[in-house]
Amino acid sequence: MSLKNFSELFVDLDSSNSTNNKIEFLKNYFLSNDPIDNSWAIYLLTGKSNKRFISGRYLKNLFSQIYEYPQWLIDTCYLKVGDSAEVITLLLKNKTNSRKKKLSNISLNELLSEIIPALSKLNEEEKNLEIKNLWETLPEDNHLIFNKILTGTFRVGVSIGLITKSISKLINIEEEIISHRLMGNFVPSIDSYEFLINKTINLQELNSKPFPFLLANTIEDKIFKNSINDFQFEWKYDGIRMQLIKRSGNVSLWTRGQELVNESFPELVEKMSHIKDDFVLDGELLVWNFKEQIAFDFSLLQKRINRKSPTRSIQKKYPIIFIAYDLLEINGKDIREIKLENRRIELEKYFSKWQNKTENNISNIFKICDLIFPKNWTDALTYKEKSRENNTEGLIIKKKTSIYSFGRKKGIWWKYKVDPMQLDAVLIYAKGGSGRRAGLYTDYSFALWKDQELIKFASAYSGLTNIEIKELDKWIRKNTIEKFGPVRSLKPEMVFEISFEKIQISKRHKSGIAVRFPRITKWRKDKKINDADSIENAYELMKKIL
Amino acid sequence: MRTKQEYLIRYKDGNLYCELADVWIDPSKPVKNALITHAHFDHFTFGCEEYISTKETAILLKERVGDNIKIKTFEYGEEFKINGINISFHPSGHILGSSQIRFIFAEEKWLISGDFKLQKDETCQQYEIVKTDYLISECTFGLPIFKWDESNKIANDISKWISNSPEKTSLLFCYSLGKAQRLLNEISQTNFKGNIYSHGSIHKMNNIYRELGIDIKDTIKIENKKKIDELKGSLILLPPSLSKGSYLKNFKNIQTAFASGWMSIRALRKRSGYDKGFPISDHADWDGILEVVKKSEAKNVFFHHGDSEALSKFLIEKESINVLFFGK
Repeated sequence: MSLKNFSELFVDLDSSNSTNNKIEFLKNYFLSNDPIDNSWAIYLLTGKSNKRFISGRYLKNLFSQIYEYPQWLIDTCYLKVGDSAEVITLLLKNKTNSRKKKLSNISLNELLSEIIPALSKLNEEEKNLEIKNLWETLPEDNHLIFNKILTGTFRVGVSIGLITKSISKLINIEEEIISHRLMGNFVPSIDSYEFLINKTINLQELNSKPFPFLLANTIEDKIFKNSINDFQFEWKYDGIRMQLIKRSGNVSLWTRGQELVNESFPELVEKMSHIKDDFVLDGELLVWNFKEQIAFDFSLLQKRINRKSPTRSIQKKYPIIFIAYDLLEINGKDIREIKLENRRIELEKYFSKWQNKTENNISNIFKICDLIFPKNWTDALTYKEKSRENNTEGLIIKKKTSIYSFGRKKGIWWKYKVDPMQLDAVLIYAKGGSGRRAGLYTDYSFALWKDQELIKFASAYSGLTNIEIKELDKWIRKNTIEKFGPVRSLKPEMVFEISFEKIQISKRHKSGIAVRFPRITKWRKDKKINDADSIENAYELMKKIL
Repeated sequence: MRTKQEYLIRYKDGNLYCELADVWIDPSKPVKNALITHAHFDHFTFGCEEYISTKETAILLKERVGDNIKIKTFEYGEEFKINGINISFHPSGHILGSSQIRFIFAEEKWLISGDFKLQKDETCQQYEIVKTDYLISECTFGLPIFKWDESNKIANDISKWISNSPEKTSLLFCYSLGKAQRLLNEISQTNFKGNIYSHGSIHKMNNIYRELGIDIKDTIKIENKKKIDELKGSLILLPPSLSKGSYLKNFKNIQTAFASGWMSIRALRKRSGYDKGFPISDHADWDGILEVVKKSEAKNVFFHHGDSEALSKFLIEKESINVLFFGK
C-alpha cells in the first residue's frame, strides 16, 4: 500500500500552501507507514536522493519508441509542461492496460531499494523492457513519482525545516535535536528512522555530526538605531561555509549543504588532525591568495569543490584556507550557549595556542577571521563599500551578546552586502522556462552596444514579478524575429537594468566580459535602446574596481 | 486547388463567415445575421440585428444580452435555408443548448464543431457525430498531454477535498454557465452531503437550467456577511473573476480550488495561485478531437481556438488527413 500512500502524500504536499497543513500531512504519513518507508520518504523529501538513473531525454526517447510517438510531438508537449517526468506521466495516461496492475501493493522501500537499483545492472535493451514493464504494472497514480525518481527530479515544496518540525511534533522533542539528527548523510534504513524518532537523546551518536548552522539575515534599518559597540563586524567572504570538526581525534569537514567533503580537501584534514584539542569551528573555506592575503575568485574554488582526491599540483595551484569565525565546541564542551564576545575570546586564545606549536604548522591553511572596528554606522558603510577591494561581498554583523542558535534566526546576525553593479541592456533572446514557469518565456538574454551592434553579455532569469513576466511573455510572442527550437530572437526594443556582483574579462564570451549573478532589477520602459550601455561602459566598471 | 475566397466558409475580420448566406458564426462584433453556437461570452456580442440559435441557447442569450433582442430558434437537426444554403444545429455536448452547425450547399457539407466535448455530461445533450466534407474544429486542448479523467472521479476528488478540511470553507471556482451546473450534478452523486452555496451569477444559471428540465441540486445563493460558522465544511461555487481582489475577504479560513482542463498541468496549477486544481473540462481532449475528426469522415479539416500547430502536423503525418489553414 505504501507507494500509493507516498503518492498521495506528494499530491497533498504539492497542493497545499499552508505550513501547518503540510506538517499534519507529514505527521499522519509517518504515523501510518512502516519505519523503513518513512525513512525513504524523508530521504526523498529532503532531496538527499538526486541520483539520476536515466535522463529526461532518455525517458522521452524510450516512450517515443515504445508507443510510436513522434519525438517532435513529445518535445512540443514538454514546452507546455516543463518537466520530462511529468510529460511522460501525462502521455502514459490510459495507455497502459489496467488488468496488469499487479504491482499495486508495492512499497516505497521495494521500489527504491530493489526495483530501481536493479535497473542500473541491466543492459540497455533489458532496461528499456523493464521500464516499460514497470509503467504497465505500476498503478497510474504512481507514475509521476516513479518517473521523477528515475530522472532524479523528485522535488516538492518541503524543506528540511518542515520535516524537522513535523518529526519534532511527532515525538515532542526540540527541533534543534531533530535538526542535528538530520544533518549529514542520511542512510535510509529502519535504524536511521528509529534514531530520528528516538525519544532519548544519545550524545555518542551525535558525535561526528555538525551543529545546525546559524545563518545571517538581510540587513534591517532598525539595526542602525543601536550602538555600534553592540556588534562584532566581519568581512563576508564568498566561499563555502563549513564546520570543521575534530572529535576523538577524527577531523570532519561539513558544508552547510550537509555534505561531508573531507575527500576534496585532504590537506586541510591532515593539518588539522595534528592539533591536540578537540573542537568544532564554524568558518569559510576559500582559495587564498597568500601573497596579497585576500581570497581568490569563487570560480577558482569551484575547481576544487567537485574534485575528490585532488593531486599535489592541484592543491598547489588552488591553495585553500579555512577561516574560522566561531568556536562552537571545545574538548567535548558545547559552548554555543555562551555569548559571542566570549566565544571570540576563546577562539583567539585557542588559535594562538595552536599556532605557537610549530609541529602543527597550520598557519598556511588555517586562520581566524579578522575583525573590523568601524567607529560609527557611516564608517561601517565605508568599510562595506571597500569590500570589493579585498574580494569580499560586504560585511557580516553579529550581536555580541548572541548565542549560537540555528537557522535564519531573526535579530542576531545580519549580512550587509555591497550594492550590485548595474548596466542597462537590451533584451535580444528569450527562451521558454521550465518547471513552474513552463509555457512562459522566462529565460532572457541581454546585449550591450559595441559600435553599431548589440552583443550578448548576460542571461538572467530572475527579478521580474509574475505580472511583468506575463506582460513580457505577451510582448515576446508578438515581437519574435526568428524561432530556433525553444529560443526566440526578438526585436531589440526593451531595455532592462541588469545588476550583478562581479565583472571580469572572459575569453569564452563574445562580449569579452563575464558577470556573476546577473539579475533583472528594473524594466526600464522609460529608456530607448539607444540609451542602453555599451561594452565600453562595462570595461569602465571593471577599471573602477581594479 | 481552390483559393481561400472560394471556400463556403472563411475567416473575415477574425470571425467565421459564410458569404453566400451572409451569416456570421459567433461574431465578435455587431453584424446583421449571427449564428450562435452557445451562450458563453466569447461566442456572441451585443448589438446584432438578428441572432439564430437553438431554443436553449436563445433563452440563455436573452438572459445575458437582454429580452428585446431579435432571435430565431431551431430544434437540433431541423434544417432551415438562408439564401439557398441548408443549415442545421446539432448537439455539441459543451453546455446546455450548445451546437455544431452544419452547412450544405451544392452537395458540399461543412461542419463547424463549435466548442464540444464527448465526455458524459447529464446537464446537456450528448455530442452527435455528424458526417461532413469540411470540418472546422476547435482545438483548445490539442496536445496529447490532455486526457480527461471520468467526471465522477473528479467529483469524488472534490468531495474528498472538502471533507478532509471540515474546519474550512471550500471555495471552488468555475465558469458560471455550464461548468458550475455540471459540477453540481456530479457532486450531488458523491458522498458529500454538506451545504452547497453558489454566487448570484451561478445561481441565476442554475435556475434557468432547472426551468429547462435539467436536474440540478438546489443551492443556496451566497449572501455577503454570512456567519462564518455556517459556512464551515460547506462548498461555495464562485466564478473565476472573483478569485482575485477583495471578494475573498468576506470569508475566513478558506481553501480554494479551480476546476479547469488546464489544471492537469502542475506548472499551471502552481502558477494559478489556487490551493488545488481539478482538471475537468467542457472541451474535448486530444483523443476526443481525433475521434471527431475521424468519425466526421471529413476530408479537409481546419482548426481554430487553440494552438493547432502540433495537432495539424500529427494529422497530416500520422493520419494522412488534409489539414487546411485560413488566411487571417
